Amino acid sequence: MSMVHIGMMQSSSKKVITKEEWEKKLSEVKIRKEDMNRLVMNFLVTEGYVEAAEKFQHESGTQPDIDLGTITDRMAVRKAVQCGQVEDAIEKVNDLNPEILDTNPQLFFHLQQQRLIELIRAGKVEEALEFAQEELAPRGEENHAFLEELERTVALLAFDDASTCPVKEVKELLDNAQRQKTASELNAAILTSQSHEKDPKLPSLLKMLIWAQNQLDEKASYPRINDLVNATLEEPVT
Amino acid sequence: MPASASWASRPEDLVESLSSLDNTARLKAIRDVKNQIIGNKTKKLSYIKLGAVPRVVEILASDTEVPLLVQSAAAVGSFACGTDAGVRAVLDSGVLPHLLKMLQNGDTQVAEACARSLKMIFHSPLAPKSDMFQGHRMELLLKLLNHGNESVAEVAARVLARCCETKEHQLALANAGGLQSLVSLLAGSIKIREASLDALAALTKNNKHLSEMVIKLDNGDALASIIRLIKDKSSLTRLLACMCLANIGKACPGGYSQESEVRADMLSILMRLLDEPGQAGQDAPGVLADLVANNEELQKAAADQNAVEKLADFLLRKEVPSKQLEGVLLGLSELCSKLENSRRQLLDLQDLKSFNTSLALAAPLLLRPMVHGSLVAALRHPCDGVKVAACACVRSLSRSVKNLRTSLTSEQFVRPLLQLINDPSPAVQAEALTAVGNIVLDFTPQKSVIMQTDGIAQLINLAQSMDHTLRRNAVLALKNFLFMADITVKHRVIAELTIPTLCDLIQDPEEEVQEQAITLVRNLVHGEPDSIEQIFSDGGLLFQAIEKQLINPRPDIALQALYVINNVVSGSEVHKEAVMTSILSSQLASNTSWLTRFLQDTSNPQLRVVAVWCIINLLYPAGEDISSRVVRLREAGVEAQLHKMVDDSCLDVKSHVRTALEMYFGIRHIDGLQCI
Repeated sequence: MSMVHIGMMQSSSKKVITKEEWEKKLSEVKIRKEDMNRLVMNFLVTEGYVEAAEKFQHESGTQPDIDLGTITDRMAVRKAVQCGQVEDAIEKVNDLNPEILDTNPQLFFHLQQQRLIELIRAGKVEEALEFAQEELAPRGEENHAFLEELERTVALLAFDDASTCPVKEVKELLDNAQRQKTASELNAAILTSQSHEKDPKLPSLLKMLIWAQNQLDEKASYPRINDLVNATLEEPVT
Repeated sequence: MPASASWASRPEDLVESLSSLDNTARLKAIRDVKNQIIGNKTKKLSYIKLGAVPRVVEILASDTEVPLLVQSAAAVGSFACGTDAGVRAVLDSGVLPHLLKMLQNGDTQVAEACARSLKMIFHSPLAPKSDMFQGHRMELLLKLLNHGNESVAEVAARVLARCCETKEHQLALANAGGLQSLVSLLAGSIKIREASLDALAALTKNNKHLSEMVIKLDNGDALASIIRLIKDKSSLTRLLACMCLANIGKACPGGYSQESEVRADMLSILMRLLDEPGQAGQDAPGVLADLVANNEELQKAAADQNAVEKLADFLLRKEVPSKQLEGVLLGLSELCSKLENSRRQLLDLQDLKSFNTSLALAAPLLLRPMVHGSLVAALRHPCDGVKVAACACVRSLSRSVKNLRTSLTSEQFVRPLLQLINDPSPAVQAEALTAVGNIVLDFTPQKSVIMQTDGIAQLINLAQSMDHTLRRNAVLALKNFLFMADITVKHRVIAELTIPTLCDLIQDPEEEVQEQAITLVRNLVHGEPDSIEQIFSDGGLLFQAIEKQLINPRPDIALQALYVINNVVSGSEVHKEAVMTSILSSQLASNTSWLTRFLQDTSNPQLRVVAVWCIINLLYPAGEDISSRVVRLREAGVEAQLHKMVDDSCLDVKSHVRTALEMYFGIRHIDGLQCI
């Protein structure tokens, strides 16, 4: 009974921590420079900034957690998809590691779908139809979800100029965003095959910061970080 | 786009070019084939038909140029990925020795490509497992665990994981230092770690000795690393670490100090993994089954976390992979093995989805217990593992008397189970027999189904199987079938089984069969004198067979024989006299009768309890021969022995001895015999 009472008392009058106290506490927390550098390197490597990673390695002496050569390969694959050269991308991935597309039917389907989209974009109608029939239809038979996506893609052929297609979900397939989506899916699969996490660590750290601040908001008033880009400490609300 | 849209080139020509004399043409052909078949099952099958595989393997076997070797190894791997036909085709082409040899190739690219192909092959159940223990292959794989290239080390662990299916294989690997090498890989990258956990799980499965070794390895550090990994970020790592620890816990219960906390953690981790997509989710139910096996406390905790409902939900889903379905059924079977509440919960689950779509007014009638249909379907599943698991599940459910009377009565279970006892797979037969054994216990509806069908003939047939597990389980089922059965059922079973066959089973080379056969006789001669009479038919062959087992050195077997005698001795005067004769003739033959020997046996008080019961039954009810029996028992030294037992350490024995002596006293008093 008394416990509940105290709890209610506390929630009604939140503890206030001033900026000075907060900064003093913050300065007491020691974070190793090497750890910070590794976080940065992890970001550069995962996102594929190979030149920046090389420079950063040179300047800070931080070892990348992956062979930088593999980043170049990965980026070449990604770029090929972004430029619409899907077949080229597929061959490159298969040289990198044949397991990736062999064990990932969904990704393989999306790449084939992208290939079909590129054929349609280039106006190669006959080739597109043949490709859809030869390569994509059997995948559609294996998996119902693929069939629906295939039907949506083939719908592009119904319009002389697909960009005038009235159905939003169909027209979207021709957007650059579709290429980006396929490219990121492929990028993530390559990273996973290299025993590397597919997302950099920094964004999840930021998410944890936001979560922790939200938790703390219920108990105390403190110098919050609202501007994540500059990480400025706000004055506590009293 | 490249001009040569490869999907458009003629496959026949490509296959031909695989054997071209020109290196460049060969390389182009093999690369094209590889790029066409990766991810494409249809293409794989059509190239296999065109005879591409032997040509691809030929390149691996005889070429020396790195690009050719890499491409052909990759193509082999792709052929072996995803289709059984592909695995068969590459194995038939004799690829295995070449791949193994190439693992040691100085060029890392070649070694890596071969490692990946080998991994694909060993992913399939068709992979030749015991072949890997020939020659120096095991040593090679163990050496490769420390290979600088991650893929090579990974595949070595994966292949080891798939190969050790027998205790001998497990031990051979451990003796060659496998455990230590695998444990040191736990610190590696995620793939290496998972491969190592996979292999450690395979080594500890049902192996107490190796489980103990893992617990003690590096002063417990190895075990601590595995325990840490159950909370890893990767769901597959969490699953594999749980698999390892569940195997260790099952093989070696209470093997380490913090075990109960670890098990509790694992339970909630596995419960969450059930919903995970991919391998982690598919394997989670089976690991959960192993975790809660033989642990009632954990079974309760799992039930509290709604495990029964969650697992049963998978039974309703369509297209659940066989391995997952097997795990789900095994999980349910473990959860229902002891807890009546869980059994009830599983059988009472209603199909709420169909309820929502059906007419509300008629709903109470339409609501049918949902698991019945799914269980019956699982009993008819094409995959052996699922059938075994479904039988195990029915067996657990049938442990409840209430369920036998109500939910499981319908013929829908009995018929498919009877079909399964003729299944081509001995594992399925054995498990189906055990389930039948439970289901036929005591209750008439099932018994009538068995009587109507050729169930008895099938069981009798299996009771003479070459496989002793099948023999044991068939006899067990027949034994349960005879439990409290009426005399017509007993007559029919004995007529079909025949007394000489039953005598053979009582003297079976396997003790577990003997024990079941003796208890079958015990059920046979339980009850009315008509029932008892059967042991003396055919010139008393059966009685003699039981008599021989009274002096079996194994106390549990002798005890069962004694129970038979106790049933006989509770019959008519004639039956009592037959036992009396047996006691006296054994006294003559070896100076101490079997009865006295039981009374003097200190190994198991139950032996003394039943022996005293026999005496009580010999004296009750007091028939015409009673005074002569009292005299004869005294001459055989039985009465004196009873007097020595009035202060027996076992309370049960003590009170029965007292009853027996009081009866002696009463009889003497009536007959005016002199007291001692």
